[in-house]
Amino acid sequence: MKAFDPVQAAIPFFVLAVILEIVLARMGRANARYETRDTAVSLAMGLGSSIAGTLMGGVIFAASLWVWEHRVFTIPMTAVWAWVVLFFAEDLTYYAFHRLSHERRFWWASHVNHHTSTHYNLSTALRQTWTGGVAGTWLLWLPLSFLGFPPAMVAIQKGISLVYQFWIHTEAIKRMPRWFEAVFNTPSHHRVHHARNARYLDANYAGVLIIWDRLFGTFIPETDEEPVRYGTVRNLPSFNLLTNVFHEWIGMARDVARHPRHALGYVFGPPGWSHDGSRDTSHTLKAKWLARTARNGVQGGPGGES
Amino acid sequence: MDKALVIQLAGSAAAVGLLVALSAWARIARPTPPLDAEAARALLAVEFPDDRVDVLWIAADGAGLVARSGERALVAWRKGDGYVARDLPWAAALDAKSANKVVRLETADGVARLALKDGEAWPPPRLLSGEIAA
Repeated sequence: MKAFDPVQAAIPFFVLAVILEIVLARMGRANARYETRDTAVSLAMGLGSSIAGTLMGGVIFAASLWVWEHRVFTIPMTAVWAWVVLFFAEDLTYYAFHRLSHERRFWWASHVNHHTSTHYNLSTALRQTWTGGVAGTWLLWLPLSFLGFPPAMVAIQKGISLVYQFWIHTEAIKRMPRWFEAVFNTPSHHRVHHARNARYLDANYAGVLIIWDRLFGTFIPETDEEPVRYGTVRNLPSFNLLTNVFHEWIGMARDVARHPRHALGYVFGPPGWSHDGSRDTSHTLKAKWLARTARNGVQGGPGGES
Repeated sequence: MDKALVIQLAGSAAAVGLLVALSAWARIARPTPPLDAEAARALLAVEFPDDRVDVLWIAADGAGLVARSGERALVAWRKGDGYVARDLPWAAALDAKSANKVVRLETADGVARLALKDGEAWPPPRLLSGEIAA
């Protein structure tokens, strides 16, 4: 029996939502910018990602099933409490995955292509990785099956989380009600996550609940004083699809080949790490930004509510 | 291959084509007017916030710039409705090849192709003399 896949089921909704955003922006009724080649790359990434997911899906499901067969508890898929617990557990797992994917280059190599668009619209949400299966981030979800959540249940909850995250990729919604912004990941919080401004780097890793960022100190609010600029610190020089998919993997391999003695640093260090300190990491970029703001007498640190 | 999967892929590919066509029709990219001195400096301030600008040159079509910052050349060029910024050694920038009114500046991972004015040679005298742009 084939398990229900929320992402596959939501594809028609994704298409309609993108059409709506474009048409409303064209009519001047919504704040959205679309550049044709950028949109083409985002959507081609989405299509390629679903093909890559299909190819890897069997392996991932088989591994989950094997782990579940060695489970600690037996958790019924029909129990409401089980879904509630899984909602929080899966969302925390997503937070861990997402943070790892930004803070260590090996996993960043797979995730970076979600961030290479200099636009932030609903098509950006579909700009998904092709190499996530190879990067092995799916291993992070295996403990849930080991605890006893059936693999199908985990897959469904993972899909629900991804579907939730679609709508937050928009500039058309400025702020949600205060209580909602306090608890859930929102367009405003996620705009910060897609920013290339030094002030906003490495923040807001949430999937559905922003509480994890607030809890673990990675929350940064969007401020009107500094509008978000989207993309990566060094924006890609072309719209080439394959460059978008593989550039960080190639860069990493090149660095390892040139500096084999520092291979571990180039693979598992933070993005931008270099053995001679000649490149910038998020940490150094933020330090420089803080020094600039201190020099210029500007108030407000990266985590400051303003 | 599973027939349902093929139908799904074909449908998704058609949807991608439709959405790309729609975004082209909508013409809602960011307005990117040609760079003038003020816009060029604003761009440099964003892309190279810690670097002073000694000399600035703007491409003839306003779609790129080269600035000297000590022994480095700061380069930015248009990509879509935004800009890509890179740096390279100043000497390498001066040695860049030009042909057909275009100078080609090679950076570590990209090439800036910047338009020269009619009869303008590379490097322009302004960059060589170190004159500060307005």
